Amino acid sequence: MTREEAQNILQVCRPGNIEDFNDPLIAEAMALLEKDSELQVWFEAEQAFDRQMAAELEAITPPADLKASLLAGMRAHSLQAEGSSTEAAVVATTRAAWWRNPWIGIAALFVFMTVIMNQPSDPAANVRVAQASAVPGVLQFLSDRIDSLQPDSFDKRDAQFEALQSFLVSHGKPSPATQPPCFNKMQTIGCVTFDYGDTKLSMICFNNGSLYHLSTAAKVNFPDELPDEPQTYQLKDKAFKLWIEGDQVRIITVHGTEEDIPEFI
Amino acid sequence: METDPEPNFDDIVNAYYQPLYRFGYSLAKNEHEASDLVQQAFYIYAEKGAAIRDKRKVKSWLFTTLYRDFLGRRRKDRRMDHYEPEVLELVGGSEEPHVRRTMDGHFAVEALQEVDAVYREPLSLFYLKDFSYKEIAEVLDVPIGTVMSRLSRGKVQIREIFKRKATESNDNLI
Repeated sequence: MTREEAQNILQVCRPGNIEDFNDPLIAEAMALLEKDSELQVWFEAEQAFDRQMAAELEAITPPADLKASLLAGMRAHSLQAEGSSTEAAVVATTRAAWWRNPWIGIAALFVFMTVIMNQPSDPAANVRVAQASAVPGVLQFLSDRIDSLQPDSFDKRDAQFEALQSFLVSHGKPSPATQPPCFNKMQTIGCVTFDYGDTKLSMICFNNGSLYHLSTAAKVNFPDELPDEPQTYQLKDKAFKLWIEGDQVRIITVHGTEEDIPEFI
Repeated sequence: METDPEPNFDDIVNAYYQPLYRFGYSLAKNEHEASDLVQQAFYIYAEKGAAIRDKRKVKSWLFTTLYRDFLGRRRKDRRMDHYEPEVLELVGGSEEPHVRRTMDGHFAVEALQEVDAVYREPLSLFYLKDFSYKEIAEVLDVPIGTVMSRLSRGKVQIREIFKRKATESNDNLI
């Protein structure tokens, strides 16, 4: 086992956890610590950092009434279950309707999840879809990410395009080298970054009454086959414009059709 | 002698509601949603928990249930109109990180939120310390090797984030 292999294994060892120390894989890596002082120093620093993070998370305390409400809810559930076994089903259903409703909701949610989970969501699946339909897989990937955007999804919120450019550059993420003229008069909302397979993608969101998204990635090693000329695509409720600019892949996304894409050249 | 219909429920709540809440909070970043996620996980346990034959699996079952519920909620949200600019602009999440830090002190959660999403869940579970890497793989339903590589890459990211935040804090002090 090399030092690098040992480091990879030791990284999954929880600080001070006897169970992990006795794990055969981790124990084998730990055996190297005695022979390799550099590895020993690295491991101690690793464990110290992990302890700090764990302590930070432990500082999060649940609301004071959470435990009581959990126990009360479960006792109500137990009583209802007992009642169901001894009374006629219709009577039990009526008496416990207030309690059963959440379960109906949960069942519906599971059905919903089953349907949704059949849709491809990982980048690799998107690539496969793209190959089958000639639409670059990155577009389905972006469509999924845009659909799940939340107000707190943004890595950085700022109304100035230049501030978001700087933020992305300073964090080693792809940043649009230039601002397409069509966005000159639009305010930005923020930027968010994704991993599309091994490729980093950044997306800046603009608000002009409607939302527009400008995504950027490095062209080199981009996993999808890319068109030579700017190309427009329609995926369900969104339109995309994809083009190459210098060494970057640029994509504009709008909610609507091709006509809703601003003239960007 | 009467049998308690839920003989172990108090113990299970006592043992897991706090780490479940922390995991829920690290996912949702929201006290109310984290509480809802915990409630739902225990409700589902009350309904289906009897089917768990190996009681040692209760912990990972609860975390898996909470995690799936969270994913389901996020997918369900896609059907709601979060796409409206006004919603993205106005509803919460607008405080800058340093402001929120001074409000709640949840520095680790903030740092975790900056880690790429794919690394966030295994890192959160790892730092909760309740799960071995094998159990994390079980909860997230991914191969053990994937958990190991995600933990490794995630830790690199979170260290960089900590360094940057420390620098920002120093700059702000100056």
